[in-house]
Amino acid sequence: MMATEGFLSILVSIALVITAIAPVALLVMLVRDWKRGNLW
Amino acid sequence: MNSVNSAILSPTIGWTILAIFSVIWVFLGWFWGRKAQELDEYVLAGRKVGIALGTATAMATWVTSNTTMTAPELAYRMGVWGMLGYSLGSVGLLLFAPLARRIRRLMPFGYTSGDFVRLRYGRTAWYVFLVISLVYGLGWLVSMGMAGGKLINALTGIEYLYGMSVILVICVGYTLLGGFRAVIGTDFIQAILILTGLVVIAVLAIDKIGFDQIHESVTRERPELLNLLMPAAIMFLFNNLLFGVGEIFHSNVWWSRAFAFREDVGFKAYFTAGIFWAPIPIVAGFIALAAPAMDVNVPAADMVGPLVSSEILGVTGAVLVLIMVFSALSSSLDSLLAATSILLVEDIYRRHLRPKAAPGELRSATRWTILGLGILTWIVSALQLGTLAQVLHFTGAFVASTIWPIAAGLFWRRTNPVGAVLAMALGSLAGIIAYHVIGFYVAALTGAAVSMVIVLVSTWLWPRDYDWDTLCEAHPGEESAA
Repeated sequence: MMATEGFLSILVSIALVITAIAPVALLVMLVRDWKRGNLW
Repeated sequence: MNSVNSAILSPTIGWTILAIFSVIWVFLGWFWGRKAQELDEYVLAGRKVGIALGTATAMATWVTSNTTMTAPELAYRMGVWGMLGYSLGSVGLLLFAPLARRIRRLMPFGYTSGDFVRLRYGRTAWYVFLVISLVYGLGWLVSMGMAGGKLINALTGIEYLYGMSVILVICVGYTLLGGFRAVIGTDFIQAILILTGLVVIAVLAIDKIGFDQIHESVTRERPELLNLLMPAAIMFLFNNLLFGVGEIFHSNVWWSRAFAFREDVGFKAYFTAGIFWAPIPIVAGFIALAAPAMDVNVPAADMVGPLVSSEILGVTGAVLVLIMVFSALSSSLDSLLAATSILLVEDIYRRHLRPKAAPGELRSATRWTILGLGILTWIVSALQLGTLAQVLHFTGAFVASTIWPIAAGLFWRRTNPVGAVLAMALGSLAGIIAYHVIGFYVAALTGAAVSMVIVLVSTWLWPRDYDWDTLCEAHPGEESAA
């Protein structure tokens, strides 16, 4: 059973979207923690 | 092959990047550590780490140089299953999330995973566990030191000894100056650098070549990479999953974070880190699949990631890869130095040599241990003892045998010390035998299976009524004063 182009593009696109969201989410969480005095 | 001539970047650019990041990390280490005078401040960042820094440090530490360099290599060798198999390394982070919450709740003054095994199962289990944990920790440290020298050499042509020395000196320097705050603070920046670099390279690869061309070229030139039933890759998938779970469940790298996070943060931080980590090997692996479409000449499979990146972005791509690799190495090395040093200080120095040591003395001992570990790692890495790097692969059987004693010990009152000792000892033995008789890809699998059977059967046959309050041990300040 071979991976089709559609399978590959969906797999990589989902992975890429999560990877792109991750740094933004981390920065948002950092600002929120900092404002609440919960950074460390 | 002459590495200076075959390197993607010139040594001058390499030295410039290393110098810039060295100054930044060491300055931040000093800045964040200047007020960490108390033991808990220095070794566990005051036990008040929030969700943002908690998530980033768990994610960045698990992104080793292997993730950024080996994931493309695995995709190039094993195809789609190689990417997915490596991605399952995130299961360890996800499964550790409930454990982290329970660890923080049961052991509010704990320092190490050794503390837990000693209090939960007694001294025999503690000794077996310490041997497994220290061999693994030192093996990982040396393999990261050696990987640093080799990767910097391959990317920039800087000599192995210089590259390895620079990365070790920097990591020891800022960990020594700033303690755990320096580790998690730099981990946050390193996480952002790794994720951003990866996204930029992958988006440009898709934009320049496109899924259709990449798929068409792989189908034509390396069709086996698209085979979803590649047996070796499926075996690798399961072994990698269990190896990862064993590494995370037992290692003080992850326990020290559970102790350092705020009480309500452990679960969320590890779970989110697992979600964020899972796609990284897929994106990094996909970059390698672009190689056939770009007609990139790949002399060694482990260089496929940097080669494709530099083909897409030129020097900028190679610089991005160097920064990502440097960040991945630093985020793992600093965590290992910090976690292994407190394991040695708490479980060996304090519990065996200086039981009445005050917190100030333990803080000082931790600093000396970080320095000592750095020197030891440098010596072994300088000698390039290949066999020690192989020890890390070998440890799959050992670490997987700790999964059940740790997990059952945290949640089941009735799991007993004899079962835990036998599970770790016989699980390791069975894993080693499987490693030699069958192959590396079943060592962790066998170790975990044997350990599981022993824990389940011994808990059923000889249940023990354990008092969870025993785990709530006093702080060293109170113990030394008593």
